[in-house]
This record gives sequence, C-alpha cells and structure tokens, in this order.
Amino acid sequence: MNVLIIGGGISGISAAKVALKGNHTVTILESSAEPGGLMARIANCRVGFKTFFDEIRDNERLTLISDAKIAKVDKKEDKTFAVTLEDGRALAADKVIIATGLTPYDPVEYKGKRVLTSLEYDAVIDQRQGELPADFNNIGFFLCVGSRSKDYPLCSSVCCSYTLREVKWTLQRAKPEITVFYNDLRFFGQEFYMEKAFRDAGVKFVRANSRYFEEDEKGVTVRYFAGGQLKEERFNYVVLAIGLRPNPQLAELSNLFGFSMNEYGFVNENAPLQTDVEGVYASGGALEPMNIKDSILTGFGAGLVAVKGPEILAKAEGHDERLYREDEPEFVLSDGNTTTCLFYLGTENPGNGMFYEFVSSKFIEAARDLRKAGKAVYVLTRNMVTPSYGEITYEEARREGIVFIHLEEDETVAFDGDRVRIAREGRELIFNADKVIRFDDYAKLLKDREYLSLYRSEPQLRWSPTKWGRKRYHVGFIRHPRDKRWEKREFLGALGEMILDHEEDRILPEVNEERCSGCGSCKDSCPHNAIEIIFEEKTISVFGPNNSTKVPIAHVKDDTCVSCGLCASVCPSDVISFP
Amino acid sequence: MKNIDQSRIFDLTDYKRQDFSVCLGCKICASVCTVNDLSESTNPQEILQKLFLGKNIPSDDHLVRYCTGCYRCTGACPWNIRIPEVIRALREELATRSPFEKAFKDSVSIWGRVYEPYVIIMAIPFLLKGGYIKHMTRWTEYMGIHLPHKVKRA
Repeated sequence: MNVLIIGGGISGISAAKVALKGNHTVTILESSAEPGGLMARIANCRVGFKTFFDEIRDNERLTLISDAKIAKVDKKEDKTFAVTLEDGRALAADKVIIATGLTPYDPVEYKGKRVLTSLEYDAVIDQRQGELPADFNNIGFFLCVGSRSKDYPLCSSVCCSYTLREVKWTLQRAKPEITVFYNDLRFFGQEFYMEKAFRDAGVKFVRANSRYFEEDEKGVTVRYFAGGQLKEERFNYVVLAIGLRPNPQLAELSNLFGFSMNEYGFVNENAPLQTDVEGVYASGGALEPMNIKDSILTGFGAGLVAVKGPEILAKAEGHDERLYREDEPEFVLSDGNTTTCLFYLGTENPGNGMFYEFVSSKFIEAARDLRKAGKAVYVLTRNMVTPSYGEITYEEARREGIVFIHLEEDETVAFDGDRVRIAREGRELIFNADKVIRFDDYAKLLKDREYLSLYRSEPQLRWSPTKWGRKRYHVGFIRHPRDKRWEKREFLGALGEMILDHEEDRILPEVNEERCSGCGSCKDSCPHNAIEIIFEEKTISVFGPNNSTKVPIAHVKDDTCVSCGLCASVCPSDVISFP
Repeated sequence: MKNIDQSRIFDLTDYKRQDFSVCLGCKICASVCTVNDLSESTNPQEILQKLFLGKNIPSDDHLVRYCTGCYRCTGACPWNIRIPEVIRALREELATRSPFEKAFKDSVSIWGRVYEPYVIIMAIPFLLKGGYIKHMTRWTEYMGIHLPHKVKRA
C-alpha cells in the first residue's frame, strides 16, 4: 500500500514509522527544505527530532520529498489518489495522512529588538548560539499572545507549557529575575510540580496581562495592573508566548482533497483521526492545537488507522488486555434547588493541579446547566484550564451570563456558611451564595489512581505517549483526565505504539530470600508496581524450639519490571541486587 | 449614590450584555489606558465586573470622569470590548457632568459656538472650588507643562 503523508513534522514522521512497520511504501511531502516542522525550530527539541527521524531515514521504502507543493489531485474510482506535484512528479497514493501542523502567530505590532517572540527568545538562550547577552537580569514572559482572542478564539494549549520550559532553560544558564504574566496557567500533569518548584526558586507569577511595551535602547518599560493598582516595571527582555494557529496551507489541501474544515481552520474530524473523505486521515496540528506528546500520539494513531482501516478500533476495544482504561468518576455537582450558586475553582495543592482541566470542564458544564435554569451563577477561578476547543465552551459560558471572577495571586477567599469573602489590600467583595461548590471537595474522587501524566517524569516521556509499563498501555481518563474526544485517539495511538514497541534485554533484580525482612520499601519505591510481598512458609528459631511460620518476602514480577534499579537503591539491607 | 440598572447601561451602548461579558479578565485594558497616564490607577475591567455583579459605581470614579474615549483599550483587548461605550452610558446614567462641561455645551446650544465669557461666568464657582484648581496637576499636563508628580513603580 502507498501511504502519502503531507507534512514532515513530528506527527508526520510518527505516522510514517507506524506505516513503515507494516511493509507499506511511504512518501512524505515536506513544503520546506528540511523535515522537522515547528518542533525542530525549538533548539532543545531539534536533537530529539533528529534521533527520532534517523531511525527511519535510511529505510528504502521511505521517500522524502522536500520543497514539495501539490498541483493537482485526482480521485480515482477505487478510492485511491493520483497526486501531481508542481515539478511534474506523479505519485500514487492509496491513503493520505494530513499532518500539516501548526503555524506560530506573528505579533508584528509588538515585536522589537527586546520584545521577542518565544521562538526568537529560544534562539537567545540556545547554548549553541554562544554567550547570553550582557544585560540579562530581568525577563518578563507574557502569555496568550495571538490566541484566546476575537480573531482566533481557541486556546493554543501549549504556550503555558513551553513558557515553563523556557523558564527552566533560562534558569539552567543564568539566574535572572523572571516574572510570568498569565491569564490562566494551563499546565498538564506534573508540570504543576515544576511550577511549584519555580515559585520556590523565586520566579514570580502575576495574574495580569499587558500590551504596554515601551522599548528603548536599554530595556522595555511595561505597565500592568495588579494588586489594585497600576504598576510600571523595567525588563531587559520581554518574551511573548505566541499562540499556534492552523497551517494556512490546510485550506489549499482541503480544496484539493475535498475534506471539510471547521470555522477555526482545522480539519473536521468525522471519526477519530479521520476526515470526511474516505482514505484521508489527519493527525497532529491539523486536528487542533496540541503539544508534541499528543502529536506523536495522533501520528501513531493516524498511521495505524490508515494502513489497518477504521475497523481496527472496534476490533481491539475491550479485547486487547494490554490496553488499560478506567472510567472517570461521576460528579454530582448540584441538585438545582438553589438560586445562587458559586463555584470555587482553586486549590493550594500542586498534586491536585493536574485535575484542573477535568474539573474546569465539569464546573463549566454544571454552571451552564444552572444558568439555563435561570439561576445566578458565579465562578471564582484561580486557574481555568480549558485548552484548545474547551476555550469555545468557556467563551459560550461567559456569554451566557455566568460571572467569572479571576482571583489574583494575593487574593484570599474565605467561606463562612453561605457567605463568601474575597479580600486583598484595598478590595473586598462579599457574596451570598446558597451553594458553594469547591474544587477540593471533589479532588478526593480523583485520587489514588495511577495517572500516567502524573507519574511519568519528563525524561521518561520520550516517544512512548501511552506506555505505562511493560505490556500495559494507558488510554483515556487514566492517561490524562481530559475531554472524551481524546479517548478514541489515544486508543488508536496506543495500538500504533504497540506495533513499534520492541522488547529490550533486561536484567531482573534478584532478591536474597534468606535475608529479606519484607519491610516493603522496595514495593513502595517501585514506579511500575513490579514488586509484590508474598508470605512464605519458613522455619525460624528464636530462643526456643523451631517454629514454622509465614514471613513476608519481596518478589519481582518479571512481566512488569523495567529494571530501573530503584528497588536495589532503596533496600535498607542490600537484599535486592542486580547480578 | 444612585443605583445603577445594568441592563439599562448595556441598552444605552447599542451592544448586548454578552458583547461585554466575554471579558477574560486579563487587565490588558488597564495597562494601555490613557487615564493611567495621568498617574491614576483605573481598571476598566473592574467597571465591567461591578456591572455584572450589580455593584454600585461611584459617579466620581476616575475612569468615568476622565475617560477620553480613545479606544486604546478596545484596540488592545483580545475580544475588542468597547469599554468607552460603557463609560459613555455610565456618564449618561450617573449624570456625571461637571458645571464646566454643562456651561460649555449650553454655550454651543445657545450661540452655536463657544462663547468664552459665558462659559467662564457660568463655571466660575466650579473652577474655583472643586474643579480645575483642585486638579491643576492634571490640566497642566494636558497643556504640556509637566509638574513633578508621584509615579507608582513596582
């Protein structure tokens, strides 16, 4: 089968990897000179992309056409495509995967020598570009530039995350004072722990935004309104976290192939990862704004569904025991017998942070229901996480008359019966609400599960977006608590990842059963639940006649162990060791 | 203090309530506001929020008094919310009109032009008492004379 992939970014390469595994011929069309797309424009990700791509670069069934532009597409009767490029080359394609990716917004009205976009700033802090500028003492980051606005109402869902990474990379090289100005901090999973760590390290977070940048030779004067008054601050550099918009070339492809697009410029998803034209699939940034991890995931999924057909989903669902999913807990938010309802969307615990996305969508849903019944609804938000299409729902909720009150960093909320008091210096707001619904009341419903996005630390993520342990792949709510539309995509992605997965040689740790006391510290430390404590019959003699009793002894489950060595390192009496 | 009927305010603007309630609360409007150039601390977003919560807005609120209608906030706002229109409606509702403004407009309605002696005579009590003498630092800035004043810095 000939698979044509349009776009040589991370998502297209992921799709190519899956398709190449099944003895298919793959052609990648890249509109620029080099593959890599947006990911390869970030200095720290370029190497990762290269290693990822190098694994298939020399495959003889892969053709990469750079500087390609499609001139004409003919749809044949047997539902295959004859594609003609502008340089006259003709290609035959049985299946087409659209992986055009995202285009960063260009804030021409604000850019300057010291007002940089995130991509420009990334080049400044790149080690390979030499030393940092001499005046590098005060950096300000501004989020939500070119997204969440009238002309592009979607949230780009990655700007907060990459700003956090840029703060990290900056702090690795220098110790400037960093201030992050945000509307909402849309982090996912364990990024909330990173945020906490940076706060402790002295990075300031201010819940206000600004468009007042007065640039001169030595720096940028910025005005912002926080804490009840206007403040003026000088920064050496100002970084605008630019939003990601759909690729403008997607419209041309839509005309050529005949698939439809939605009003925001993304592909209309007919079924998971499929467009409404048979044989044309979509992945990555062609679907919606998403991060690199999800681009790889949808790339795997699109590659799989293109070569195996859409039936694969029904065939594997519920039958493949390697796929692991859990149902989301049921939220009963309000009985509707109230006239004034107040939602408090805020938590002090960074461990609960990863549920902001899930709880935000639930709260908005409940608030809209109450509002439609004619109730007065208030939502106090510390952080409202509604990425990509979630922002549209949030916008509708605002239009419907739900009052959202954005709490600043130093504002406190006190609940006293049905009275709610918001206070900071010079400001006081008091509400009377019949019913107060708080984030933390529901957090306990979400606890004590093995969420992949929480437990995976960053270096481990790499190229396995759904893999939890050996022979276990997390999909749906347990992978990442978010909107339902992702579940089927993750399903396909996990199936694609299984095709690529290969068994690595492992050395299993050994337990010296004579000396093991069964303290369980290895069990607690194991990130993959690969150690179980088994009670064994054992003869012991302590001051008297020999006794036969059951004693706990650690055992290594060889199908889940990944040989990370954590158990050996925590064992208090060196009972576990590697041979 | 007069109670404000929020639905009337939004009717007066010729826009709907939902055109204003899309506000994200980002406070970009406050960062670019011209009134804040005069070392004031006004936040247009707070005016909107007070309206949505049904709170009272004092008629001597700095933004209501000094808004020049420059639409810088609208230009910078991600949702292009037309705040000057709300301010204009609030002025109408709160009858925030200084005697000077009244004299100025009356002069135009009587003679079809500004007749300065009339304006000055009509507005003398205001100019001396609570008006321009009190806010001298401000009107000198309008004239381009920069007297020293306190700038709030972080």
